[in-house]
Amino acid sequence: MRNLSIGSLLIRPEAGAFLGMVFVFVFFAVFGGSTFTSFSGAASWLNVAANLGIIAIPIGFLMIAGELDLSIGAMVPAASMSMGIISGYYGLPILVGVGLTMLFAATFGWINGIIVVRTEVPSLIVTMGTLFSIAGLTLFLSIFLTDTTAVALNAPAWAKAVFGDFYFGSYQIIILWWLGMTAIYVYFLHFSPWGNWLYAMGGDKVSARNAGIPTNKLTIGMFMLSSLSAAFVGICQTILFNSAQVSSGMSFIFNTIISVVIGGVILTGGFGSVIGIFFGTITFAMVNQGIYFTDFDRNLSSLIVGIMLLIAVLMNNTFRQMALTHTSPKKKK
Amino acid sequence: MKLFTNMLKSTAVAAVVMTASVATAPAADIAVIAGSIEDGFFNLIKKGVDDATLVVEANGGSVNYLRTSNYDNFGPDLVQLINTAVSQNVDGIAIPVWVPESQVPALKAAAAKGIKIMIYNSGASIREEVSGINYFGSDEFVAGVAGGEYMAKNGAKNIICHIQSPGAVNLEARCKGVKEGAAKHGAISTNLPLPANLDQNVTATSEAIKAELLKDPTIDAVITLAAWASDAAAVAIKQAGGPDKVKLGTFDMSPAVLARIKDGTQSMAIDQQPYLQGFLATSMLAAHIDFGTELATDPVLTGPAIIDASNIDTALAGVKKGAR
Amino acid sequence: MSKNIKSNRKPVLELRNVNKSFGPIDVLHDISLKVHKGEVLCLLGDNGAGKSTLIKTLCGVHKPTSGTILMDGEEVNFPNPRSAADKGISTVHQFGGTFPLMSIGRSFFVGVEPTKNFGPIKIFDRKKANEIAVKAVQDFGITRIDDGDRLIGGLSGGERQSLAIARAVHFGARVLILDEPTAALGVKQASHVLRIVNEAKKRGLAVIFITHQVMHAMAVGDHFAVLIRGGIAADFKKGERSREEITDLMAGGETMADLEAEIQASIDE
Repeated sequence: MRNLSIGSLLIRPEAGAFLGMVFVFVFFAVFGGSTFTSFSGAASWLNVAANLGIIAIPIGFLMIAGELDLSIGAMVPAASMSMGIISGYYGLPILVGVGLTMLFAATFGWINGIIVVRTEVPSLIVTMGTLFSIAGLTLFLSIFLTDTTAVALNAPAWAKAVFGDFYFGSYQIIILWWLGMTAIYVYFLHFSPWGNWLYAMGGDKVSARNAGIPTNKLTIGMFMLSSLSAAFVGICQTILFNSAQVSSGMSFIFNTIISVVIGGVILTGGFGSVIGIFFGTITFAMVNQGIYFTDFDRNLSSLIVGIMLLIAVLMNNTFRQMALTHTSPKKKK
Repeated sequence: MKLFTNMLKSTAVAAVVMTASVATAPAADIAVIAGSIEDGFFNLIKKGVDDATLVVEANGGSVNYLRTSNYDNFGPDLVQLINTAVSQNVDGIAIPVWVPESQVPALKAAAAKGIKIMIYNSGASIREEVSGINYFGSDEFVAGVAGGEYMAKNGAKNIICHIQSPGAVNLEARCKGVKEGAAKHGAISTNLPLPANLDQNVTATSEAIKAELLKDPTIDAVITLAAWASDAAAVAIKQAGGPDKVKLGTFDMSPAVLARIKDGTQSMAIDQQPYLQGFLATSMLAAHIDFGTELATDPVLTGPAIIDASNIDTALAGVKKGAR
Repeated sequence: MSKNIKSNRKPVLELRNVNKSFGPIDVLHDISLKVHKGEVLCLLGDNGAGKSTLIKTLCGVHKPTSGTILMDGEEVNFPNPRSAADKGISTVHQFGGTFPLMSIGRSFFVGVEPTKNFGPIKIFDRKKANEIAVKAVQDFGITRIDDGDRLIGGLSGGERQSLAIARAVHFGARVLILDEPTAALGVKQASHVLRIVNEAKKRGLAVIFITHQVMHAMAVGDHFAVLIRGGIAADFKKGERSREEITDLMAGGETMADLEAEIQASIDE
């Protein structure tokens, strides 16, 4: 049905991300030996990708719509602490912990969205504010309630099975969640009408609104989604690692944005794909974890991460240019 | 509420100090400068400072607790806090010295104005240079040696020492100590520095440690330098042979660390007892200013105290009270 | 010809004594305009003459401070751009498609996506969207566009304008407001767009063509209004004024000759 020429594949937003992923995989398969590609070695980077990917896709949505959410950086540890305090310190049932934590996350996401929509202050600034607010509130509340900044949580077996356990020896259950959510997000962005609205918003918000798209509702919804996703990862981590502590969680901000950008989403919005972000996240996880399978000096790891990322992003740029200038070959010659 | 009263207190202090500086100071007004608000370790220091404050206030003095907001602009931030304290005309400053190049000149200037300096947590080596009274803290290297010895004595042969923020002098010193302590009993220790973008990222750190364990099956012990990293390592060990094959030790502690020591999945935690650092630095500084007391021991090491299965229950009691 | 019939009919869109001020600043005074079905009204004016305020008033972004807007002889109010669009007023901006990184099919249907159902799940019908979009624009004579998956950003300026106009027509626009459609285009591209304007007119749309390029206006216009400092300085039909006269009018009533003399004087000083 579709013209599946190489040209038409190359103009897809995820093409660069895919080739980047293949490149990184081959690189580490060569230098990291068979452990990197082995069943348990693959779990190493897939686990990291899953934790990152669940947040990266909603961040990608926001970026496609021309927004950004830094507050996820504080949301991950905040949710982790909330979970730890409610179900660990106070010993309430896991579901109560999950429910309340998700409720907090939804509230903060909603606050982010409302402020962005009402004030038109760039979301970078707004969420930077909420980032610190959430971090401060987490610290204050955990000391106020528990007198410490770290709590332990021993989840019952069923909760571990659902949110944080290992299968086949080393595969985290969160990988399944990640795959499921990715499938739903692919539908949302590429096959549902709402996906079109997101692209339109990223292209030109005013025109999108004039075309009848409920841009405000959609923006608020996106912020709630990113906040909830961050909270979900925080919850899973707490249940898996039996522990929660106040931390800055700043690494999540950079790591998700980097994954999204490797995935082919542009910082100015309007362009990108879920599958691209999916590949981008795997690429980033492989770059980050791959080095531990190699014999490179560990002190070089940041350098290698940096260079790999630059290569990936430059590849994306090239492919986007190709997408813009590409004219499909005449179908009937 | 607490914040508000603290603010009132500090403005009141400032007012008192203004008038007091003309006459002779009735009692010690001191500033305690501390690390980031996000750093859980400093909540334990603060607990010590808070308890000492009760004593200082009973003697008519005051304590102003100043923290950096984060560690991103560390040196300049600390100098700024020193200058803030100096401008408040305090009689003494208790401070950790992490960035000697930045802090030493500022502290020298403060000392030249007659302000008494007390060093805690870090900076034993420059105490004399800034005319510090004493040092309360652990020696990272000594603590590392203790950790390495402990692991080696308990049968470890090949240790990895995880560094979450490569290049940080105190962390590198810890792992250097581990290496030395291990060597004393015929074991080796290798450093595992992870890039800073994995700092506080439990999943990625866990997977990285696991990768190391899978790559080199002779590794039989892991030492981490922070409580969260120990959580990560515990999960990695569980997948790569279990706690019977790979021992786990860590610097610092958390409820989860203690729970693991209690149930036997972690060997030990090295505690530098921050409560004592905060408590002693504050109370000894005030006593020195008020009463001229001096400790004969210098430096005063508050650690390492090793927590293992033998003393876990008393440690847990201290944690409940927010002091460990 | 048909002109006589037109004057007997009610105009599709009419402005009567419309004023618009922002606080103390009067931007539009006493604007009265009419545009009929199948007619191109050219709004000429220099930068700052109030053209963009007038467009925004027509398409519901601004509300007039006083005066009335009528459609088919009946008074209408546009509380927002959406309501103007619902009544069939469609605005195409200078750069046409405003979503450069969206595909032709997707951008064509922004906000009104065609869907097909798989059980309870709604799916954006990409194939249908692409087909309709490509057909709509080809009907306007732009046969170079044949792939609905191409990105808007890859089209030429003229093609984008044509696509935007085709889109407006497809969704039942009755009044087409073209805001400087030819300003950023080369000669060949501009003639493309002008041909499409003619085509839209032939299909019975009322077109309001905003420009400061007199040549382009004269090529397609039936009716002309010159806007100076927020007021209508002249209102005339095709053939009533020469190109030079119109240019002079736009320059604020001064003749080109006066202007040249003035410039010369300032150089001589």
